[in-house]
Amino acid sequence: MSTILRLIWFDLKQELNPPIWIIMEWVVFGIQLAVYGALISRLVTSMADYLQFYAVGFVIMMTFEIGSHTGRHFVEHAHEGRLPYLLSLPIPRWKLFLTVALQGGVELALMLTVPLSVTLSIIGNLTAISALSAVATLFWLGFGVSGLMLGLSFIAFRSADLYTAIVTALSTLIIRFSTVLYPMIFLPASYAGAAAFSPLTYGSDLVRFFLGFDPSMLVNPQIAIAVLTALAVSTLGLSAMLMQRIVEGVKSG
Amino acid sequence: MHPIETEKLTKLYGKTKALRELDFTLDEGEIMVLLGPNGSGKTTLLLILSTVLKPTSGKASVMGFDVINQSTKVRQVLGISFQDARGFWRHKPIEILRFHATICGVPRDRRERLIEEILKDLELWDARGKLFMHLSGGQAKRLEVAKLLVQRPKLAIFDEPSSQVDLRGKRIIWDHICKLREDGSTVLVATNEVREAEYLADRITILDEGVKVACNTLQSLKDSIAGGDIVELEFEAKDNKDMAEALGRLEGTFRVTKEEENHLRAYVSMAEEWVPKMANICYQKGVKVVSVRVTEPSLDDVFLHFTGRALGAASS
Repeated sequence: MSTILRLIWFDLKQELNPPIWIIMEWVVFGIQLAVYGALISRLVTSMADYLQFYAVGFVIMMTFEIGSHTGRHFVEHAHEGRLPYLLSLPIPRWKLFLTVALQGGVELALMLTVPLSVTLSIIGNLTAISALSAVATLFWLGFGVSGLMLGLSFIAFRSADLYTAIVTALSTLIIRFSTVLYPMIFLPASYAGAAAFSPLTYGSDLVRFFLGFDPSMLVNPQIAIAVLTALAVSTLGLSAMLMQRIVEGVKSG
Repeated sequence: MHPIETEKLTKLYGKTKALRELDFTLDEGEIMVLLGPNGSGKTTLLLILSTVLKPTSGKASVMGFDVINQSTKVRQVLGISFQDARGFWRHKPIEILRFHATICGVPRDRRERLIEEILKDLELWDARGKLFMHLSGGQAKRLEVAKLLVQRPKLAIFDEPSSQVDLRGKRIIWDHICKLREDGSTVLVATNEVREAEYLADRITILDEGVKVACNTLQSLKDSIAGGDIVELEFEAKDNKDMAEALGRLEGTFRVTKEEENHLRAYVSMAEEWVPKMANICYQKGVKVVSVRVTEPSLDDVFLHFTGRALGAASS
């Protein structure tokens, strides 16, 4: 365990020295919520307090964005020469992949600390269990997205441009065709059908369920838990297998 | 058991064959130099041995551990210094060495002393607090080598350890590699620099297009070139008509040419055995020799002999 912690800390130290990216994420969240969130919630009259809904949605978008960076980081490490170095260290492969996943989790935690605290304080009136369940859902979603992006990163070994194009297109579709920014009951039938295929639909609705939003406008929480679990387990398992095959079969540097 | 043993080791990158059924062994306690131009398969072999890459077919073992099925054990007994020192842009040299030494299990009581000693020896002590991205190419390369010198593994693998390093730095690195061997490590060095190979090698393996074309000590490789040694003879008297003929009949003579009236050039195999025989003939014939100059073939000549191409031309 100490090896895993040491590996995580060695990389994380860079992010925190100085923690400019993390602070920037917090600033972006603050501006987005204070300006866009506040104004759009005045326009939206069909929902009691859209700002709360929007704040959760923006935290979900951040989770997706941070999770999707994991795949890109992995490939960058391969091209920069850090990955061959890590692969040559006397560490079992499973520990190395666990480190990659946990590192993504820790980065997610650091980036979301302030946005999530602000969101929880806006919603207010929460129990510790509901807040912790929401946090756990975000991590579970983060792992699923990281796994998905790690699985996709094999494309980046062939073409970084193609990978960027695919991830950009995918994130556009996954976020827009989901319940991140608007509830399922508001969506036209064709959009709702597409949203059923977006993992963010289940992530955002489950978080909202735990935070006390009206369950009638959310997807079934049991189905959401099942989908998110299936996503995290399958994509992380698949990506670990793919990575081992791809990384050790690709010429480094 | 050999520290390294490969059997029909093959690696394909798409349709490109980087290694072709390579059989290769390394003896304990030696420095083996892999010599070959860029693209000859040296780095691929090193990456397979260090379990960074998987072979397409064939077998490879390190200290008796299979590189595919016992990869963690392989990594516990070897260390590799990569060709390109990259990837830790925002870390400092001293942090990188501390991290590496800790992960590789260098005991805490020796760690700091070793790191300081190596950093000073490699003239990196003053740069220990700089960010990696601010190091020069030579400093970054020396840091890459320093990782292995701090780790002191049973099997040390260096990929072009002194490329980008100035002459003085090269000498320091080479001496440290020799010291590593004296301290009990077995060493494998890949290079395309003739001077590096000549300085370090106990044995040399020549790789070309993924194939092992020769493997022996430097001297044996040079001796294996028929007529590769050149002996220049200068006689006191100008009239030495029958000397060329007599020397031509000596065992090991490839050919004899007359350069001037009192100057012969003999192309021979193993000059160290040929010269005493030549001296006997001169003594018997009463011919006085003014000077003898022996020129051995260079490693470039050896490479040319075995591959049909000059090393420099092959690299480019």
